[in-house]
Amino acid sequence: MMELDGVTHTYDTAPVVEDLSLSVESGEVVAIIGPSGVGKTTLLRILALFIEPQTGTIRFGDTDVWGCSDGERLALRRRIGMVFQEASLFDATVGRNVEYGLKVRRSWRDRLSDGLSEVLRSNGTPETVEEALGVVGLGEQLDQHAKSLSGGEAQRVSFARALAYDPDVLLLDEPTSDLDPRNTAVIEEAVAEARNRGIGVVIATHDMHQAERVADRVAVLLDREITEVGPTDTVFESPADERTAKFIDGELVY
Amino acid sequence: MTVIAGAVPIVSLPAFPFEPQYVWSIIDVSLYVSGLAIVFSTAVSLPVALLLGFTEFRGKQFLQAIINTGMGFPSVVVGLLVLFAVSNQGPLGGLDLVFTREAMIMSQFVLATPAITAISLAAVSGVEENVRDAAHVLGGTRVDVALVTIKEARYGIATAILAGFGRAISEVGSVLIVGGNIASADGVSKTRTLTTAIQLEARQGRYETAMVLGGILLVIVLLINAVVVRLGEGGVMQ
Repeated sequence: MMELDGVTHTYDTAPVVEDLSLSVESGEVVAIIGPSGVGKTTLLRILALFIEPQTGTIRFGDTDVWGCSDGERLALRRRIGMVFQEASLFDATVGRNVEYGLKVRRSWRDRLSDGLSEVLRSNGTPETVEEALGVVGLGEQLDQHAKSLSGGEAQRVSFARALAYDPDVLLLDEPTSDLDPRNTAVIEEAVAEARNRGIGVVIATHDMHQAERVADRVAVLLDREITEVGPTDTVFESPADERTAKFIDGELVY
Repeated sequence: MTVIAGAVPIVSLPAFPFEPQYVWSIIDVSLYVSGLAIVFSTAVSLPVALLLGFTEFRGKQFLQAIINTGMGFPSVVVGLLVLFAVSNQGPLGGLDLVFTREAMIMSQFVLATPAITAISLAAVSGVEENVRDAAHVLGGTRVDVALVTIKEARYGIATAILAGFGRAISEVGSVLIVGGNIASADGVSKTRTLTTAIQLEARQGRYETAMVLGGILLVIVLLINAVVVRLGEGGVMQ
């Protein structure tokens, strides 16, 4: 569904990622593993159409995302969801946060009339908002202010916020690196739920056990390039690349 | 408007504190001039602050330096420049704006805009990049991201606007030069503001009137500052 081909991106003069090729299909979880600072975030930001790489192509379905018009790219961008390492919630209630993606997809005219209904207090919360919050177990916290949530809850809201508008691709950048085991488990269950819904998930993580738990396929990112990509079991049990094997065995220390 | 001043001889000025109409008209002019100046200032300052906050371009630091310098710009000099601009020889001479409220609005606009821009810039720069990125990845356009930024920085922006209003309503130099401190013979202010009235009343030895007007100005400024402090607390608490 989404495919990178020969992608290189350079900040200033030093390449951050080099000649990357990777794909994600519907209903599949791909984990990108690698040590910190290796370019996982850059790779996800390229997938999120946040940054345009200097070389290589990115296809979404049949469309070359940097070869189409701005309008088309916005439409494609709106089929992608992303969760950052930090929750990055807006200074508003949980409900408003999760509703945001739906709101920006509406026409300005509808948004203005929505604003009016809000003043008149006549509109309810969209069903998908409550439903997405239900996936991360926060269905009851709709009216709570985002700033009063714990770190784990905030990250779960952040996940629901990306899920609420039913994206085709969901990008997760180290979503559980700051979380306790209980919140981590909730997020991992939500990843499984996203996969069941047919969403293609790309999760960057430095936790190899997490990759083993959630991913169908694993891509190993070392020294700016993907050294190995394949089914999770194969990569962990019999890696073909020597550097990958060393990294998985913990010998390759960064 | 009721002209009570019919009984007042034209040669003698209305003897406030016993002439409410005189005071009300002065408050009216002050709020009208400073209020409109702040509306225009905000309309210019916010987009500039957003642009400066989130884009990199050549001369950005220079522009920031100009804005910061503008915050400390002497109001009499601004008044002089605006007076020149609206005078017969000036570029806006054809509009016949000398000694009008419009000219006063222009000079207060010039004085308040750098302050509102600089404080708004600090506020929008304080919005975390992550939050702006979130608005973007959730499908927001550039306008949506700007709106989110304004919403996140709302307490700081409100503080900027109120601080600009405080600066505008309490300055005396420029409005005196471009407005002329005019009140009509019936005791109704045309271009007389609280500050210029205080200056005049004090100079004429009517200290009671000057003190009452000073008290009113102080209450207005204190109220504004109380709101600013409350907004600041709101921003911190939330």
